[in-house]
Amino acid sequence: MTATTEPQTRAPRAERPAKASVVRAYLPIFVTVALLALVPLRYHDSRSMMGVVIGMLLFMAYTIAFNIIFGSTGQLFLCVGALAGIGGFGSVILSDRVGIPMVLSIVIAGAISAAIGALLSWIAVSRSLDVIFTGIVTLAFSLSFQSLILGRRDLTGGESGLRVEAGKDTFISEQVQPYYVFLALVFAYLVFYRFLQRSHIGWAFRALRDDEIAAELSGVDVTRYRVYAGALGSFMLGVAGALYAHSEGFIGPSTYAFGDVDVRTIVMLSLGGIGSLLGPVLGAVAVTALDEWLVDYSQLQVMLYGVVIVMLFLFFRRGVIPSLESVAARFRSGRHR
Amino acid sequence: MSLLVLDDVEKRFGGLPAVDRVSFGVDEGEILALVGPNGAGKSTLLKAISGLQPPTAGRITFAGRQLAGLSAHSVRQRGVAMVLQTPRTFDSMTVRDNVVLGAMFGSTTGRIRESEANARAEEALEFIGLADRVDDEVGSLNLHEQRFLELARALAGKPRLVLLDEVMAGLNETELAASIDIVRMARDTLGVTVIWVEHVMTAVMSLAERIVVLDFGQVLADGAPADVMRSPDVVTAYLGDGAIPVE
Repeated sequence: MTATTEPQTRAPRAERPAKASVVRAYLPIFVTVALLALVPLRYHDSRSMMGVVIGMLLFMAYTIAFNIIFGSTGQLFLCVGALAGIGGFGSVILSDRVGIPMVLSIVIAGAISAAIGALLSWIAVSRSLDVIFTGIVTLAFSLSFQSLILGRRDLTGGESGLRVEAGKDTFISEQVQPYYVFLALVFAYLVFYRFLQRSHIGWAFRALRDDEIAAELSGVDVTRYRVYAGALGSFMLGVAGALYAHSEGFIGPSTYAFGDVDVRTIVMLSLGGIGSLLGPVLGAVAVTALDEWLVDYSQLQVMLYGVVIVMLFLFFRRGVIPSLESVAARFRSGRHR
Repeated sequence: MSLLVLDDVEKRFGGLPAVDRVSFGVDEGEILALVGPNGAGKSTLLKAISGLQPPTAGRITFAGRQLAGLSAHSVRQRGVAMVLQTPRTFDSMTVRDNVVLGAMFGSTTGRIRESEANARAEEALEFIGLADRVDDEVGSLNLHEQRFLELARALAGKPRLVLLDEVMAGLNETELAASIDIVRMARDTLGVTVIWVEHVMTAVMSLAERIVVLDFGQVLADGAPADVMRSPDVVTAYLGDGAIPVE
């Protein structure tokens, strides 16, 4: 057959990653962040609206981190809030009680989250837990974290929460500046996400998400890359949670509660698009806008979340961004032919 | 010197031995066919070598180093690549990217850069005859082509030993001939050693240089194809007692 050495008609080489594609890869991030930078122009007068849009960026950061863990490697971590909370409470305790400088305490707290995330990943992989069981184990972890927060009143303030000293009266507790701090964080996370996608780690992620056996047979250490994803995503969650604690000046059990953080993050990611770069951005903006419109109907809001999730999984299983991309791709190839 | 030495390799599922203390060696450059009735433990033995299902006992020495107990990706990185009967491909990727992955992570020289992996992938696809399909989706390939794709993914890592698990089952005659050619060419030009589980006896008789027959997890016969297939034990295992040996 074609195995002989007769001259082949070579297919035209597709454009493989070159210098030009670097620009194409990172440009959407710059455009997105530039657009988001305009938001305070409209809301800078209102303390409450600035709080809302800062919260939006916080959740954007959570969702990008969750996207690395779940979107890239299929590990359903139902402990987004808990990992962020380890960052938040950890950093506050380290800075206010131990006296470590705030920036350092944020990094250390992030590292603690990363270690716990890596451990959870490792347990899930080494016990070959599927998506559902990973979800159950991490949910159990979430619940025990919540009990720990409520139980260790001496450290965490229990139900009444903690006033945060480190960061008070600095620019991160102002009305508008924190928005740009979080925007810088989101920018860094998006760049990092893109960087991962384009590195060998991104290749490994795609391989193991497609087919674990095929990945192993190709030489991909599935366990190692799953643990990488768990550790990196958890570090990002911990840092975001810690930064929020110092910026907000107060944290309590509800700051990182499952019902508030995890559910919203999952809705944002599945709405925007699991495994896509800008899905988390779109999801966070859409869900925040939805919340604001429904602010007077808080009961309806919860119900609407339910309806949105059902609709998503029925009609938009891959999320808005990937669906749009495939429509665009079909349109392009249609024109070529 | 033997490239691969199996020494009392055993794989039990519960109490039942699927592979029961199998020992033999494979020389560098050999094409060895592993045959036997259904359930004889052929595929299980290949999976034990490849690390997909590590053996429960015994030693597997490859180029002087132990493979038993290593996971599949480590075995692959040491130069043993496996192709499964039911192709396991990366369906969201193009043909090229499937092979790039095998080159990038599965090379014996350690992880290599994307540009170099690309070059190796194109080389392997050229060799296998899929060069004009590089940008196609995997889903557009038929079974035969998907197996070739897997073989290209295996060869892209420049392995010394390739394990083929019934890769010729369900092919038509042209495809079968092409498969036989490509395996022989892989050995002749790339120097890879081949252990190959097969039921298609015409293919075995035309390609294999040595046959090992497994039955109930044990080695029943081992030798040159013509001798092995005339052996009374083998005839009994395949056809049952009272059968008359073929001339």
